[in-house]
Amino acid sequence: MKNKLILFWIIMAITIASIFVDYKKPASLGLDLVGGSRLMLEAQTSSSVPKITPEIMDSLQYAIENRVNAMGVGETIVQRIGTKRLLIEIPNITDTAKAKEFIGQTAQLEFKRPKMLPDGTMDWESTGLTGKDLRKSLVGSAPTTGEWMVELEFNAEGAKKFSDLTKELTGKQMAIFFNDKLQSAPRVNEQISGGRAQITGGEGGFEYAEAKEMVDLLNAGALPVGAEVIQEESVGPTLGQDSINKSKIAGIIGISVVMLFMILYYRVLGLISCFALIIYSLVNFALFKLIPVTLTLTGIAGFILSIGMAIDANILIFERTKEELKMGRSLFTAINSGFDRAFTSIFDSNVSTIMTCLILYYFGASMVKGFALTLIIGVCLSMFSAITVTKNFMHLIFGSKEMKYPELFGLRQEDIENAYVATETKREKAKFGVLD
Amino acid sequence: MANTNLIKDKYKLDIVKYRYFWLSFTGILLIPCIVAIIYLMVTQPNHSPLKLGIDFTGGTILQYSIDKKISIDEIGKIRTDLQNIGIKNPVIQTTTEAGADEAKSEVKNLISIRTTFIGDKESKDKVGEITDAIVKDFSSAQLVQVNSVGPTLGSELLRNTLTALILAFILMVIYISFRFRTEYGWIALLTLFQDVIVVVGVFAIKGIFFDTTVDSLFITALLTIIGYSINDTIVVFDRIRENMRFLAKKYSSGEIIDASINQTLARSINTSATTLFTLLALYFFGGSTIKDFALAIIIGVVAGAYSSIFTAGPILSIVKERIEKKHA
Repeated sequence: MKNKLILFWIIMAITIASIFVDYKKPASLGLDLVGGSRLMLEAQTSSSVPKITPEIMDSLQYAIENRVNAMGVGETIVQRIGTKRLLIEIPNITDTAKAKEFIGQTAQLEFKRPKMLPDGTMDWESTGLTGKDLRKSLVGSAPTTGEWMVELEFNAEGAKKFSDLTKELTGKQMAIFFNDKLQSAPRVNEQISGGRAQITGGEGGFEYAEAKEMVDLLNAGALPVGAEVIQEESVGPTLGQDSINKSKIAGIIGISVVMLFMILYYRVLGLISCFALIIYSLVNFALFKLIPVTLTLTGIAGFILSIGMAIDANILIFERTKEELKMGRSLFTAINSGFDRAFTSIFDSNVSTIMTCLILYYFGASMVKGFALTLIIGVCLSMFSAITVTKNFMHLIFGSKEMKYPELFGLRQEDIENAYVATETKREKAKFGVLD
Repeated sequence: MANTNLIKDKYKLDIVKYRYFWLSFTGILLIPCIVAIIYLMVTQPNHSPLKLGIDFTGGTILQYSIDKKISIDEIGKIRTDLQNIGIKNPVIQTTTEAGADEAKSEVKNLISIRTTFIGDKESKDKVGEITDAIVKDFSSAQLVQVNSVGPTLGSELLRNTLTALILAFILMVIYISFRFRTEYGWIALLTLFQDVIVVVGVFAIKGIFFDTTVDSLFITALLTIIGYSINDTIVVFDRIRENMRFLAKKYSSGEIIDASINQTLARSINTSATTLFTLLALYFFGGSTIKDFALAIIIGVVAGAYSSIFTAGPILSIVKERIEKKHA
């Protein structure tokens, strides 16, 4: 009895700790619930890059991370998937057209010199000075006009190239191209050796956003390989909030109906299982927050489903207990053998569910993983709640009392009377759990 | 004495006695499923037993929420508008969320537009163009969800999915044979197979009549069913095995199987019922995203409970009799 009381207080302590965690710690919600976008990029091989190596992926990831962070939209995640894919999660943004353009944007800065074509028209040709020769760039404003411009700072090699180029082109025009678009073509007045240059935005200057985007792209560095979007999931914040509300309603209704059924069918036993189920839900949510599990819509579905499955173990135990009672066992023995005999079935069924969930977790896409994870946690935890918690409550409530009111267990009076008049040999047979 | 002959008067269901009836009845139930599956395998260009969604074929689905109901004429107008901006054969579907409280749910009427994959460089601005076209027709339209899967990723997902399904089946056989005798293992597998056929069949029928497509969530549902519906079979087999140990001398295997099924009937029904309650709550109140997912598991759970009683029992009795005849 003393051990049982200790166990009871341990269960209570876990429950209270869980309530505390549930209350204090915010749940981490997936993008499909808060709204946001998830993009999967795949690095593309080309004639110049025939094979995607881990080093290339490193620099691709670095460049993409820089670009995504430059968008300034909160906690973005860039994650490597497999050997040539990147998963990008951007909260709060549903219109991905801009994000995609920004992520996939090439950042080619080129300085060009004038070239006379045979037919007498003028064109530009590459000089070898490009965005690769930059140390960094900033948004600045021109001291005289106040127009926005892009300031460039070259690295040592770039400074030398720029100095040589300006010397060569003194008195002529020099063109600055960004992504094959002519930005400005200033006249070079003298050799510039300081390793600095500015791009003014042609006539009318740059818009601030325009200058900022160019600076961000230049600073993030060029992508080492092309990257294509191969998967996209975006959920608007209204739909996300709607999903949260609906899951809550579904969860509350689901758990209420299950509890009502258990109480109506198993009476006092059902009531005990309801308390166990409440503890199960509280601890389960606390675990989600502590591990932490990012809750997605399917993850919540997994949790709600696990409620229905968690109670299965109790049903198996109660049915067995009732059978044992019908065979004339005392309440205490009936409860114990109810648990012992039902255990193998419970264990087997949980193992089979966990096995399929592990397969899902391994093979599934991210949406599926959330479901598998919450279901695995739920099934494992249900072993604790159905067996430890329910058994403890039953022992504490019934102790070694005789059963007076079979109705409390959903049994009829005559079931028990029949059992009690059973002969000694019947009792002997009943030991083996056989209804003969 | 009321309980001198429990094994007889406890019967609620005569499974073994009418086993050929039950097996034929099950067979008849399976016919529409199998016909639908074969029909799709023959008529579909990719010979798949189900209509595959963008997860497996590649494509893009855009969902817009609109504050009023959408009429058929309006759908026709959207279709023409989309074709005018170069979207070939868009699939347009509308859903109206039933049951959700009108004031609470902001997302009531949804239009979903399925097209070929939008995401590669040529079609970059297509989403914007489609949105413009929709907003022109419905000023309240709001893009609430985008799902896009590239064609190569799609076929890769399909491969992974099939591998996962086969692996799940193999693991189940190994586990059941390890826990029970081989004949139990094979019968459990057979019932599992039947459950999967029913679910796939219902979705094939839905595919034929309502153009329902299946996505990764459907496969998730199938795997969940494989893991869960075996539970009922395990409970029944556990009891049969236990009773065989003590009653084999006195009663025939048919009587023992019948008694075992009847003894476990309440728990088979109740365990499935509680799981169904939570699934039905998800189906009716959980929103459109997981409706089909919940439905697939609901069908699977019902099929699982049915097969553990009406398929596993009769077949086991036939197999047991064969084995007994051999030994006799």
